[in-house]
Amino acid sequence: MTTNGWLQIAVFFALVLLTAKPMGLYMARVYERQKTLLDPVLGPVERLLYRMTGVDADAEMGWMEYGAAMLIFSLATLLLTYAVERLQHAIPLWNPQHLAAVEPYLAWNTAASFTTNTNWQSYVPETTMSYLTQMLGLATHNFWSAATGMALAIAFIRGIARRETRKLGNFWVDLTRGTLWVLLPICVVYALALVSQGVVQNLKPYDMATLVEPQSVTTTGTDGKPVTSTVTTQTIAQGPAASQEAIKMLGTNGGGFFNANSAHPFENPTPLSNLLEMFSIFLIPAGLCVTLGKMTGSPKHGWAVFWAMSILWFAGVATCYWAESQPNPLLHGVDQRVESAGPGQSLNSGGNMEGKEVRFGVANSALFVTVTTDASCGAVNAMHDSLMPLGGLVPISNIHLGEIIFGGVGAGMYGMLIFVILTVFIAGLMVGRTPEYLGKKVEAYDVQMSMLYFLIFPVVILGFAAVSVLSPSFGTSSLSNHGPHGLSQILYAYTSAAGNNGSAFAGLNANTHWYNSTLGITMLAGRFLMIVPMLAVAGNLATKKIVPPSLGTFPVTSSLFTVLLVGVIVIVGALTFFPALSLGPILEHLLLRSGISFS
Amino acid sequence: MSDLVFLAVSLAFFFVAMLYVYGCQSLKGGREDA
Repeated sequence: MTTNGWLQIAVFFALVLLTAKPMGLYMARVYERQKTLLDPVLGPVERLLYRMTGVDADAEMGWMEYGAAMLIFSLATLLLTYAVERLQHAIPLWNPQHLAAVEPYLAWNTAASFTTNTNWQSYVPETTMSYLTQMLGLATHNFWSAATGMALAIAFIRGIARRETRKLGNFWVDLTRGTLWVLLPICVVYALALVSQGVVQNLKPYDMATLVEPQSVTTTGTDGKPVTSTVTTQTIAQGPAASQEAIKMLGTNGGGFFNANSAHPFENPTPLSNLLEMFSIFLIPAGLCVTLGKMTGSPKHGWAVFWAMSILWFAGVATCYWAESQPNPLLHGVDQRVESAGPGQSLNSGGNMEGKEVRFGVANSALFVTVTTDASCGAVNAMHDSLMPLGGLVPISNIHLGEIIFGGVGAGMYGMLIFVILTVFIAGLMVGRTPEYLGKKVEAYDVQMSMLYFLIFPVVILGFAAVSVLSPSFGTSSLSNHGPHGLSQILYAYTSAAGNNGSAFAGLNANTHWYNSTLGITMLAGRFLMIVPMLAVAGNLATKKIVPPSLGTFPVTSSLFTVLLVGVIVIVGALTFFPALSLGPILEHLLLRSGISFS
Repeated sequence: MSDLVFLAVSLAFFFVAMLYVYGCQSLKGGREDA
C-alpha cells in the first residue's frame, strides 16, 4: 500500500461527501414536486408525457397499486427488450456488423438482467448486440430500472415520513421525474465529459487495424488437430459507448458496452474517467441519505445512515487494498514489492497485478472493486477472478450484505431502511419496550415482512448454487477452476444475480441453458420478490400515527445507532453466508498460503 | 417455440409476483383500499 494510493481513495470519498448534501436536497425537491431550475425546460415535457399516457399526476397510490404498477411496467419493458434482441437482424437500423438475432436463452437472460438493474452479461457485446439493441433495449433499461429503484426508495421514505395515510405517491410520476430531472440532465453532461476523455460515441462500422507485429495463433481444427495461422489485422469495435457509459455508472447498472467493461480503453480511458466513473456510482445513493433526512424531517438520521454506509465502505476498501497489495505466495522469485525511482516515479506498483490495468494500478482497482459491489453496479475495471482470495472475499461479501453500502440507486436505500427497521426492533427488545422508528411503532407485521425480505436473498443464492455445485453435467462443467475457487465462481454468479449486481468472477462460462435460465430467475426473484415485502412495510408504516419520543425511544440519530446498525448488518450477513464463504475464498486463502492451488 | 416458452415464463413470474403482493397484504389481515 502506498501514500499515493490512500490519497486517491481519500479524494474519492471527499467527492462523495461534498456532493451528498446538494444532490440529496435536489432529489428531495424533485420528488416533492417543488420548484427547480430545470422546470421551465422539463415541466412541459413532463406534462406532455402525462397527457400522452393518460396519467393523473395528482392521483396517489397505496402500496399495492404502487407495486402493481411497478411490476406491470417491468414486465412490459422486459418483453420489449427480449423482442428487440430477437429481431435485431430483421430491423434495418444501426446494425452495421449485420449481427444475427440473439439466441432465446441468452436474450431472455439479458432482458431479465437489464430489467432488474443487474446487467449480468452472459454475452460478448461486440459480437452479439447491434447498436440498436444497445440503445433501445439496454441503455433505455439502464434509465428505467434506475428510475424505478429511486422511485421505490422515495416511496419507502414517504412511508416513514407520512402519517395516517395509505398513499405512498404515484409510481408513474416518480418514475418520470427521476428520469427527467435527475438521470437525464446528469447523463448529458457526464457523457460529454467521458467523450472529452476519449470514450467513443459513433454509429460507424468497426475499424480494421493492421498489426505492427503479426501474431501466430494456434487453434483446434475441425479434425481435432492443432492449426496454426497468422493474424495480421485486428478489429476495433466502435459504437455509441459514451451515452451508455454515463447511465451505466450513474444508474448503478454496470453492463459494459464492450466485453472488458470499464477495463476497456474506449469505456474508461484515463485515470480521470476512472475517478468519475467510481464517483458517479455513489453520487445518487449517497445523496439519497440526505433525501431521507430531509423528507423525514430528521437530517441527523440521514447522516447517521450515511456514516454507517461509510464505515462499511472503508472496511471493504481497506481490506481489498491490503489483500491486493500482498505478493502472491505462489509466484516464487518474482519481485512484487513497491519500487520507486523517486517522488511520483514508480517502477513497480507492487502487489497482485494479475487481471489489473496498469493504467489504474492496485489502489484504483481495489477501490473500483469495492465501490462497484457496495452498490449494485457491477461494472469492473479489473478482473475479479484474478483477485487474491481475501481480495475476492470483499466484493462477494459486499453483495452478501445486501448491497446497502450506499447500494444501487434506490435499492441500496430501501435495503438499508429494512436493516434500520431490524436494528430498531433489536434495540427495542434489548430495553423491553415497543420499538419505534422516527415516531412510528414497529410491530409484528413490519418485522415479518422485513424477515421475508431478508430470507428470499439467501434462499435463491444458496439453493441454485447448491444444485450447480452438485451437477457435473450442467453445473461444474462451466468452471475454469476447481476446488474452493470453483465454488467461489458459482457462488459469486448467483450472489451477483440475486443482488442485482451483475459483476462476474469471470471464470465461469455462464452462457449455457442452465445458467442463463436459472440466473434469469434469480435476478427476477432477487429484485421483485424483495421489493414487494419492502413496499408492504412502507405501506404499513404510512398508516401509523406518530408517537412522541419517550425514555424508551431508541434515538436513530446518534453514533450508537450507527454502530448498532453496522453490527446488525455484519451479523446478519455473517450468519447467513459465512459457511459458504469459509469453503470458498477463506479456504482458498489458507490453501494458497500452504502452496496449494487448483486448475 | 422457445420465444413462446420465455413469454410464458415471464408472464408466469409476474403473475406470481402479483399474487405475492396480495399474499403479503393478506398476512396483515385484509385488503388495502388501493
